[in-house]
Amino acid sequence: MKKILTTGLIAGCILFILSYGGLYLGVRFFPGLFVAYNNPLFNSDGSRDVLFYLHAFIISFALSWFWDRFKGLFKGTLVMRGLEFGFVYSIIALLPVMWISFSSLDITVVMVLSWFLYGLVQAVIAGLVFAKLNP
Amino acid sequence: MKNKNILWVSLLLFPVIAAFVNTRPPTPIVIRGTSPKRWVVSQNSSLRVNGSTNINTFSCVIPAYDKTDTITIKSETDKGVILSGSIGLSVNSFDCHNSGMTKQLQKTLNQKQFPVLQIRFLSLNNLPAITRNPEAITGLVAIEIAGVTKQFEINYQISEDSEHVINLLGSRMLTFSDFKLIPPRKLGGMIKTKDQLTVAFHLKMKAIGDL
Repeated sequence: MKKILTTGLIAGCILFILSYGGLYLGVRFFPGLFVAYNNPLFNSDGSRDVLFYLHAFIISFALSWFWDRFKGLFKGTLVMRGLEFGFVYSIIALLPVMWISFSSLDITVVMVLSWFLYGLVQAVIAGLVFAKLNP
Repeated sequence: MKNKNILWVSLLLFPVIAAFVNTRPPTPIVIRGTSPKRWVVSQNSSLRVNGSTNINTFSCVIPAYDKTDTITIKSETDKGVILSGSIGLSVNSFDCHNSGMTKQLQKTLNQKQFPVLQIRFLSLNNLPAITRNPEAITGLVAIEIAGVTKQFEINYQISEDSEHVINLLGSRMLTFSDFKLIPPRKLGGMIKTKDQLTVAFHLKMKAIGDL
């Protein structure tokens, strides 16, 4: 349990920096991709900002538990284990969620694809951290 | 003794008499028009709101005014022109040329609770002879958005076209916070709408003469 929490926390800190740093750079250098977020579908009064920034830790702790439970199934080098873990998470969890999101919400294909890629990259990075710290 | 009494009475009454005698006002007010005139706002009038976020700019327009309202010139003096009358614009009529932006603006302006944006015309600094050449004038308006009313001085251009339609173009910088509104922010504040907006309106009016 302690291992799950510590690796989750470390992965959370790394994902926090990379995710929000990447998002900041994305908004700055590719502003056109973010125009569609000016929509009441997305929270606009700042009341959920804390929850938004906690996401990196929520996903890290969840994936840390998932890794600890199934790490024996991921074989090979550190990079291969991290990549496979990321892809497994993306196919099992992200793809169906993106599918139902696109089918039910007034959002664009670009938006959904960017969320899928964002989650995939997060899961691969988390997988690499877990493969290194909790092999 | 009698002379002394007269002197005292005169001294006491002097300020009272002087007040009645000196009735000249500090500055003369000359009323030029005695009967009010009216301008009927036509349906081709429009209003535009320009703003920006840290990633784009937006321009939302109410392309056509869906009512016929009247602005009355109540009195015309050397000090200016007193107006009465207002236009009520449906917040639901805003079009930002992007459905998401349109819905966002309507939500920000609290359209469900306050569906109408009011512009009440209060005064003009002067009313020049309206010709085809645009004349710059200023005036006071009271703008009501989301239940909050604020007075602003507006810069106008007034002119008349060949069909005797009076064109009144006004513009003014204002802010969301003037009306206690919060500019929208998205993705934890990574996308922020700037507080400042420019409101520009173009009223097309017909003068309908003395009442």
